[in-house]
Amino acid sequence: MPYEVAQIALMTDNLGLCDSPSNSVAPSLTLLIERAKAGEPAAFEQLVDHHQRKVLSTAWRMLGNREDARDAAQEVFLRVHKYLKSFRTDQEFAAWLYRIVVNVCRDHARKHGYRHQFASFESERDAGAFEELVSNEDVETNAIRSQERALVAQALATLSNKERAALVLRDLEGLSTKEVAQALGSTQTTVRTQISSARAKIKLYRDRALNRARRG
Amino acid sequence: MMKCRRVKKLLPLYVEGDLGSNQAESITAHLDWCGQCNWLADEYKESQNWLRTNQAPEFDQAFLDSFKSTVMRRVEESAVRPSLLASIAQQLSRRQVLAMSGAMLIAIGMVLFYIYQTRLSVKLPRVETAKQIPETERAPGDVPKVNVDDSQENPSVPNKHSRHQPNQKTHKPAPMANLEEPPLFSQVNRWNELGTTNEVAVTPRDLKDDSTEMLRIEIQTADPNIRIIWFTPKIADGPQTNQ
Repeated sequence: MPYEVAQIALMTDNLGLCDSPSNSVAPSLTLLIERAKAGEPAAFEQLVDHHQRKVLSTAWRMLGNREDARDAAQEVFLRVHKYLKSFRTDQEFAAWLYRIVVNVCRDHARKHGYRHQFASFESERDAGAFEELVSNEDVETNAIRSQERALVAQALATLSNKERAALVLRDLEGLSTKEVAQALGSTQTTVRTQISSARAKIKLYRDRALNRARRG
Repeated sequence: MMKCRRVKKLLPLYVEGDLGSNQAESITAHLDWCGQCNWLADEYKESQNWLRTNQAPEFDQAFLDSFKSTVMRRVEESAVRPSLLASIAQQLSRRQVLAMSGAMLIAIGMVLFYIYQTRLSVKLPRVETAKQIPETERAPGDVPKVNVDDSQENPSVPNKHSRHQPNQKTHKPAPMANLEEPPLFSQVNRWNELGTTNEVAVTPRDLKDDSTEMLRIEIQTADPNIRIIWFTPKIADGPQTNQ
């Protein structure tokens, strides 16, 4: 049964798409994509199931808040469904998917802007959108973590769209420079330039934030 | 040996291993003895660690299930509602689609041909008859004059007599307002309204017969400032004359 084989393979193998990008499309994933291309809803649902976490977190980092990330991630999967027939199995699915994520987030940011106003830790927890925090964890620690996250998001907001996309994919999603270049549709040299500039800006923002905190 | 300036420029890439091995070794050697660059490299490393504190929140299973069901519902909706073109194409057979495409192509071709013909006819020269002023009204020694406009009867329209040699290009600067109008045909009337000209002189050679009417042919060139006016005796089977 090809469906069961694909399902088991996805459950057991690390395909490099959920947690880390892969350099080639695994056979089981190829099978799944072929079935989804043929119009099998269950296969597409499997694809969504195995990539939604990654897509959501990437969109969240690119856009800076949960609501926009959710909307963008939905749009990503709609586009995947629409253009899956044009996907060739000799391509890298991860790069293809990241490219869609980057394009959708860029469109979304163009429409709505980069809203880095992070929800507070309490509101995030009350919204129930995120995993419940461990009960014995110190609330103060969580508050500090939430504050740090907001600060990083503000730092990311100082970058241009291209710099942010390159930095998020390279440093936060862990893609190689080559993979980032594929996802962004640019050259490795361009990506290196963008990453270098972005890291320098992030450092500058952090230095200023630290100086302000020391004075305060 | 790399200089500090060059090292500082490459440090953002060095700290994450984005440089080639040669450059990375050179920078490592530089950092061994340069305290300032070494300190800056540590700063970049701390900054990168700080950046990675921006971990995306973990999404709980309920949220993910809700997200997936929303995606699948929207996918189904988009599949149920095909585009207008696709829905039309689905209802028609392949032969019908081909026939419709052919018909559309023919229709587009006809429209284009019509536009081409229309533009061509606009460029054709205008033939206009002109009335000759009776010879008795002319002053002795003056060249015969031809009235090209019926509005001469209106005394409020001033007459400016310009003399032109027939069978010769007439360079007449068009009024600025005429530059925006379609070429030629409206311009004679326009000029008459403005009173710039309504009489044109011709040589006696053109009036050697007793005919009281002349043909006036105007050709507008591509340059709006250049118009060719051509007077010729009216032929019996020629176009209708304006009395």
